[in-house]
Amino acid sequence: MAMDIAKERGTAKVEQRVVYESGNEMAAYAAHQINYHIMGYFPISPSTEVAQFLDLMKANGEHDIKLIPSDGEHSSAGICYGASTAGGRVFNATSANGYMYMLEQMPVQSGTRFPMVMNLVCRSISGPLDIHGDHSDLYFALNTGWPILMCRDPQAVYDMNIMAIKLAEDPEVRLPVLVASDGYFTSHQKRRVHTFAHKEDVLKFVGEQPPAGFPDTLDRNNPITVGPYMNEPDYINNRYQQSQAMYKAEEVFERIAEEYELLTGRKYEMLDTYRMEDAEVAVFLMNSASEIIKDVVDNLRSQGIKAGSIAPNMIRPFPQRKIAEALKNVKAVTVGDRADSYGAHGGNMSNEIKAALFTYGNTTTQVVSRVYGLGGKEFYAEDGHYLFSLAIEAANSQRVEVPFDYYGHTPGDAEKAPKRLLKPLRFEDLKTGLITVTKNEESGKLGVRIPPLRALTKKPKRIAPGHGACPGCGIFSGLELFFKGIEGDIVALFHTGCAMVVTTGYPYSSHKATYIHNLFQNGAATLSGVVEMFWERKRRGELDDLGLQDDFTFVMVTGDGGMDIGMGPAIGAALRNHRMIIVEYDNEGYMNTGAQLSYSTPLGHRTSTSNIGSVQKGKVFHHKDTAQIMAATNIPYVFTGSEAYPQDLVKKAAKAQWYAQNEGLVYGKILIACPLNWISPDDEGTNIVDAAVNSCFFPLYEVERGETAITYNPDEKGKRVPLVDWLKTMGKTRHLIKPENSEALAEFEREVNRRWQVLLAKHEHPFL
Amino acid sequence: MVQLPKLNELGFFEIRLESIGGLGANLAGKMLAEAGVEGAGLNGVSFSSYGSEKKGSPVKAHIRFCDLKTPIRDTSPVERPHIVAIFQEALAKTVNVISGIYEDSTVLVNSRKSPAELKNQMKLLGGTIAVVDATGIALEEKNRVNMAMLGAMFRLCPFLDPQTMKDVIRKSLEAKYPQSVAPALATFERGYQEVTFETFPLPEGMSMPSFVRADTPILGYQTQPIGGIVANPGNSILKDLSISRSGMMPHFKADACIHCAQCDNVCPDNCFVWEELPDKRGRLQMFLQGIDYQYCKGCLKCIHACPTDALSGEREEEGYAEANRFPHRFDLAVQ
Repeated sequence: MAMDIAKERGTAKVEQRVVYESGNEMAAYAAHQINYHIMGYFPISPSTEVAQFLDLMKANGEHDIKLIPSDGEHSSAGICYGASTAGGRVFNATSANGYMYMLEQMPVQSGTRFPMVMNLVCRSISGPLDIHGDHSDLYFALNTGWPILMCRDPQAVYDMNIMAIKLAEDPEVRLPVLVASDGYFTSHQKRRVHTFAHKEDVLKFVGEQPPAGFPDTLDRNNPITVGPYMNEPDYINNRYQQSQAMYKAEEVFERIAEEYELLTGRKYEMLDTYRMEDAEVAVFLMNSASEIIKDVVDNLRSQGIKAGSIAPNMIRPFPQRKIAEALKNVKAVTVGDRADSYGAHGGNMSNEIKAALFTYGNTTTQVVSRVYGLGGKEFYAEDGHYLFSLAIEAANSQRVEVPFDYYGHTPGDAEKAPKRLLKPLRFEDLKTGLITVTKNEESGKLGVRIPPLRALTKKPKRIAPGHGACPGCGIFSGLELFFKGIEGDIVALFHTGCAMVVTTGYPYSSHKATYIHNLFQNGAATLSGVVEMFWERKRRGELDDLGLQDDFTFVMVTGDGGMDIGMGPAIGAALRNHRMIIVEYDNEGYMNTGAQLSYSTPLGHRTSTSNIGSVQKGKVFHHKDTAQIMAATNIPYVFTGSEAYPQDLVKKAAKAQWYAQNEGLVYGKILIACPLNWISPDDEGTNIVDAAVNSCFFPLYEVERGETAITYNPDEKGKRVPLVDWLKTMGKTRHLIKPENSEALAEFEREVNRRWQVLLAKHEHPFL
Repeated sequence: MVQLPKLNELGFFEIRLESIGGLGANLAGKMLAEAGVEGAGLNGVSFSSYGSEKKGSPVKAHIRFCDLKTPIRDTSPVERPHIVAIFQEALAKTVNVISGIYEDSTVLVNSRKSPAELKNQMKLLGGTIAVVDATGIALEEKNRVNMAMLGAMFRLCPFLDPQTMKDVIRKSLEAKYPQSVAPALATFERGYQEVTFETFPLPEGMSMPSFVRADTPILGYQTQPIGGIVANPGNSILKDLSISRSGMMPHFKADACIHCAQCDNVCPDNCFVWEELPDKRGRLQMFLQGIDYQYCKGCLKCIHACPTDALSGEREEEGYAEANRFPHRFDLAVQ
């Protein structure tokens, strides 16, 4: 939303306007003005919004960027890499573990010298999982060979994004550029931001097209070989070129920033210094905290203390000379690192600043190093005063008492430490004997007998109440119903997602039995390791003293998002056929990060990355058939289920357990409601998934030893409903019922019916 | 440019919204801030507390206004608000919603109670209490609580022009939800008109409670088990989720219950409490005893699942949950 303040700053040569937006909005806004060719992305908080805002603009035809929802950050970085070799402009945004997952692609992007721009919306890296902001992801970027621009507020996010592409494409640089801002502090706080009023002016500045004269992979007359095999003695020369280009980026940035200042009146130097002219004590911080510290400087100055602060606008290349100069007459500086470099006796910035001082012959300025603000711990003015007090003390005593430490950590009160609350579940309560599974020796198939479901309420729930899921969330009703069919002990692993987050907010856990969370994509591999360790330790007799009455049932719980990013490891685990269950709760999107599309989101459904607008009507491709993909790995048992058909699901759970204990891997998918993001009433979840089943969108079936059996056929039961009866129950699909979307609806109906017909044929023929 | 009524030492007028996820406080905060910045020409910053908290969990939104010359550097949450707006009255049970207020701050509460009752309930020493029945208005106008609260907040911010706000409402909603523009405007207007105030001067000789920053966890580096492991299985039972209910709750009539467990199968929050007892013929059977309202978020899925009329959805009356709760009997390690 723009305010009508043309040329608000008198110094701007080119018309500017003012918007009131967040850092993420500004990254997206700059990208849409640049009109990049390609963005390959994958959702992760807090950077996800960048893709969301771009999708919303795209839905209304405001830019032409091709937005590619990838199946994980490794792929998003791969898409971006491929696109950048093909000659156009490429953009991405990520955070934390998303960045870690794509890390190996980063040096390839820089080492093969293909420019692009990526926003790193900084956040703590796992584990334990913390979604808030620090610089632990950023510090991994230091050695990737990407120039790194720093953004202290949403204004800088905008400005740096505009300058970044020009820096990346400069003939003397030709490197991908990282634009780093602070997660939540900057990404989610709205501020007044000045922007170019017209896209044309942005393009005039960055160039309508990338500079010509550089090879790309789409030039048929000049074929190139990208990424050859290069050993010694050549490799070191490639690196030397890259090293030179990186140092060149310093003066190129200064040239670009000067040009930018002329146009906009906004000035960015390599190093942002505040009241440093005669400063005797200083604090060095990066990004959002470096703004807060300025208020502290003002306060100290009013008390007569010669305080100043410095913050870099660029940390690769590192502004070594400028920092040495800024600190020349400073008696002591406290360097705050918002991430540790474990074992290095200082965070990365502390040690690089010490190196800068040493390099320029300064052996008198005292340097105090503190790690602060980890995991999004707020940085208040009081904290700034504390950092200054350390510098003042060092200045007075001409020495640093404690060169390196943490600040803001607390010892805890042993008296108040919580005591173990619940006794372990009793095996005899979990092993009710109410469910019997018998193998038919002739067919090899399993027969299951279950009691009335009333009797199974005797079995303790696996999840304790008190979890923080939304009202009406279908995850836990679906899972607990599934667990009603599982007898005895389980060890559970949850992929990253809603179920994981809402059951394990530290120091609480809703898991009554052992539970593991590893990484978003890696659950199947992780649980494989647990399973095999169980069998190996059991074989060696190391578990004998536990007196286990039965083997554990190993259950991995994942959302549909986890089965996108984790598809490879899941298939790997299936092909290795470990004795475990993968149960997927499918709510048709990445609900934990704010309802982005997953591959399981059906055609035309609205999500935050498949918006409805004048030129786009929801998701553009069909939903993934994960059950069929998993069935193709020839594992012993695959099923689908729903809480609307409880007996069916409990029986399938019992079979799943038998196969997982005796033969190998089981995969099951449970469709569950997400009232928040399906935009449906909290109380309607069961009815909505029931309609999904009866419309044949989500057929209930199993594939046992390769043979398909439909376990509930709505046609035979006289319960079949048209697809629209399901779609009209949710806000995310209601638009599909409108006449203007009849084509999309017909296309969706065709696909649903085609898959149903294929399933019917498989049901009829054991060899299909 | 407009004049802000009060400023803190850094030159800010500060507002904090206290809510549970799902009531639209985030959006209301955003719209209020936009009205100040884009409408009234102020400088400002606005944001929400972000976590992985879901709908029904406590959330906060923060707004700072200042004049255009004041630099905005602080990114930390609003701790000393001039206005607090409480979207869910029951929040005061578990959250210190009036933390950090000044004696001349205004506390706006979505409630049907009187300012004097609320003053006692929140143990407010001094300040102005503003009350609006935002839930009631929203139900009548078939719109959302946040619009009524926004209207009331506007009355508390005389430097803002309600007309600009109406334009912002229209602009924010018409793209995605055009049909809700008119009810939203009506709800906003009623919130603006129907808010009532009462000022309680700080009694002679008393001072406002000093502000305490609550950011020190119970477990620390000496007491956390290494690796972030939680060695206390199922301890989420300590949580009280009753504030997640936004007005409705299930009632249980034992004599109509056939103990079929359909409710248990669909309950996301494991609220149903069962016990094994002999039936009429002396055989042991599971019998539904009641609902543990400490964990019930009021989704009402169970009402649809119930084949009899043993379960019904009702407006929540104060005290009902406490009086009719059937607590889980956990197998406790500590007694």
